[in-house]
Amino acid sequence: MKSGFPLYAAMVAGLLVLATTPLYADNYVVRTAAIVAMYGALATSWNFIGGFTGYPSFSTAAFFGLGAYVGAICQRHGIPMGLAWAIATVVVAAFAALLGGIILRLRGHYFAIGSIAVVELCRLVVSSWSSLTGGGDGLNLPLMAWPPEELMRFFLFVMLGILLASLIATILVDRSRLGFGLRCIHQNEDAAAMVGINTTAYKIAAYTLSAMFCATAGAAYASWTGYIDPTDSFQIVMTVKVVVMALLGGAGTILGPALGAAAFVLLEELFWANFLDWNRAILGVVIVLLIFFLPGGLLSLGMRRLRAAKVGGGQ
Amino acid sequence: MFAHGILRSARAGLLASSVATGLLAAALTSPALAQETIKIGAPLALTGGLADEGHKQDVVWKMWVEKINAAGGIQVGDKKLKVELIEYDYQSEGQRASQLAEKLINDDKVQFLFSPFGSGHTKIVAGVGERYQVPTIACVASSESVYDQTLKYLFGTLSPNGGMTTAMVKFFKEKFPETKSIAVLGRDDVFPKSMAEGIAKAAEAGGLTVAYKELYPVGTMDHAAALSSIKAAKPDWIYITGYTQDLILARKQMQDLGVTAPIVTMVTGPSYKEFTDGLGPLANGISSSSWWHHLTSYEGQGVWPTTAAFYEDFKARTKGDPDYVHGSCAAAGEVIVDALARAGSLDKVKVRDAIAATDIQTFYGPIKFGPNGMNLSRELPIIQVQDQAIKVLAPAAIKNADMIAMP
Repeated sequence: MKSGFPLYAAMVAGLLVLATTPLYADNYVVRTAAIVAMYGALATSWNFIGGFTGYPSFSTAAFFGLGAYVGAICQRHGIPMGLAWAIATVVVAAFAALLGGIILRLRGHYFAIGSIAVVELCRLVVSSWSSLTGGGDGLNLPLMAWPPEELMRFFLFVMLGILLASLIATILVDRSRLGFGLRCIHQNEDAAAMVGINTTAYKIAAYTLSAMFCATAGAAYASWTGYIDPTDSFQIVMTVKVVVMALLGGAGTILGPALGAAAFVLLEELFWANFLDWNRAILGVVIVLLIFFLPGGLLSLGMRRLRAAKVGGGQ
Repeated sequence: MFAHGILRSARAGLLASSVATGLLAAALTSPALAQETIKIGAPLALTGGLADEGHKQDVVWKMWVEKINAAGGIQVGDKKLKVELIEYDYQSEGQRASQLAEKLINDDKVQFLFSPFGSGHTKIVAGVGERYQVPTIACVASSESVYDQTLKYLFGTLSPNGGMTTAMVKFFKEKFPETKSIAVLGRDDVFPKSMAEGIAKAAEAGGLTVAYKELYPVGTMDHAAALSSIKAAKPDWIYITGYTQDLILARKQMQDLGVTAPIVTMVTGPSYKEFTDGLGPLANGISSSSWWHHLTSYEGQGVWPTTAAFYEDFKARTKGDPDYVHGSCAAAGEVIVDALARAGSLDKVKVRDAIAATDIQTFYGPIKFGPNGMNLSRELPIIQVQDQAIKVLAPAAIKNADMIAMP
């Protein structure tokens, strides 16, 4: 399809930029690229429920943390790394589907609060269930005895793979009946139900999709650091960051969330490196300004130019 | 409409990639390498939940670097090299701690790492150091579980916290022979948890009944339920572990609920000045153990020849008293000085082996690493708050007060 070409080109170009970092940069830059890919995948996942469906979900960190724990526990029981990640993905997707059936009955602010409680609840369960999760001691994973450069390259490609998978899923959903249904729910859920959309099933599908890739990313992240604990795995800050990233880039678009994630991580790096004492405050101000003046996200910049071009072309 | 959507996405993609390229390029321009210095990297919690502890490490490391550079630097072979300390704030977030350790090693080319406060973050940073074979000195991680990961490049200057429990049970039973039962409430976090479990084990071995033992999750804002259960169990000894904020809260709630016992121990509460400052008269009578106290009189090599010399310097700089975090971290640098003198080069493997063979006396006490990289056990001080000041009860050599019952 001819019209799909620019989208794919942009996507491939973006992924290539990240994927080629090991060729010319040191491990720290490669690591930043891997983190961009990871947050890109998280924000793209969030987009299913938050962007398409319009349900303000704050449960990203819960899925990420659970994925990390399921993956870590599997690996500690001798299951090979790749398989452990796959198990984490399936288990967390099933968890999200079951949970979705309950909390997706809430709407608006109530849903937001409910979904944030999921993060806190998961953290408490994981930290209290010491016999399985090690409680507050955290879990050690087998440290991978690879040279650091190779290890970093490997995890960059893993994170890029997860990002790519989430983007492909987004494109497929966007072009399918599911995507159409989700947008209908976003606009008016009651009306959507009246025209024959099975809103419950659709919402659960979106919520599950939003959990899957987070779980894979979490499990991969656990293998990467080699040590996880409840406080760092279930961070409210992470949950909020991911939503901000998606809004920053443009919620409900295909590449927006990943773009937002890249911009956010790089801004964070930039401010952090240059303003050691004030970086948090500056970052906060920048986010507030961006959301005030660019409510449609960074993508709306492109939109404006596009409209201008169209008007010009029409004359 | 459809085509517009695609175009929109395409533009975004292009924008994204150009932004990414630009910023990555900016990130590439790392600071120029200053040759012929020893670089020590320190990811520190200067903001966030562990900021107080992070600042303590920061102040003594800066003191140490100034001192050592004023004396010409560190002897390596036939050269004297200056020391450069590179610190970054990891905002008390584990993920950022590992990222910064990576940055310190890759961008700043540090040859050593000082690990941040706490056993959990030490694990994270030491894992990165291990991959690059960069020796990591941990001055505030005392849980043996940190050192069982077979990390060959991690060394800790605190001695195992197991040493703190058995001696304490023995000492308290001597002073209060009628002590029969203990109630233990611990924070579910690496160090406080291991202390809570350690004391319960030591108490049982010492013939006490454990009347209550529970862990509370990190971030608990209310201990009322646990304290009520403890009250019902009527123990002779209440032992609570956690960090300063947890313990201040627990002590205040004990007061509100009328929970008390002849002996109340909080670990590591009274080791920190913030604890006694925060509680005022309520802190009186609370006992604790610590890894180091400035009243000890150790002598040894390094920029501070005696404990008193360190104490004077510290007092002059901060107007306050140093605690064990200050002592342990200030001594961490001496490990590097000694190892480099013996290794005579900056070769990674040689330096690592030299550190493993460390056997020195310092103002902080002896430093000699066991096979797991942890400082060997020694007699640790037992302390108590009396009239809002810290008194040392044991060991006998540095004792300056007798133990009193809770008022």
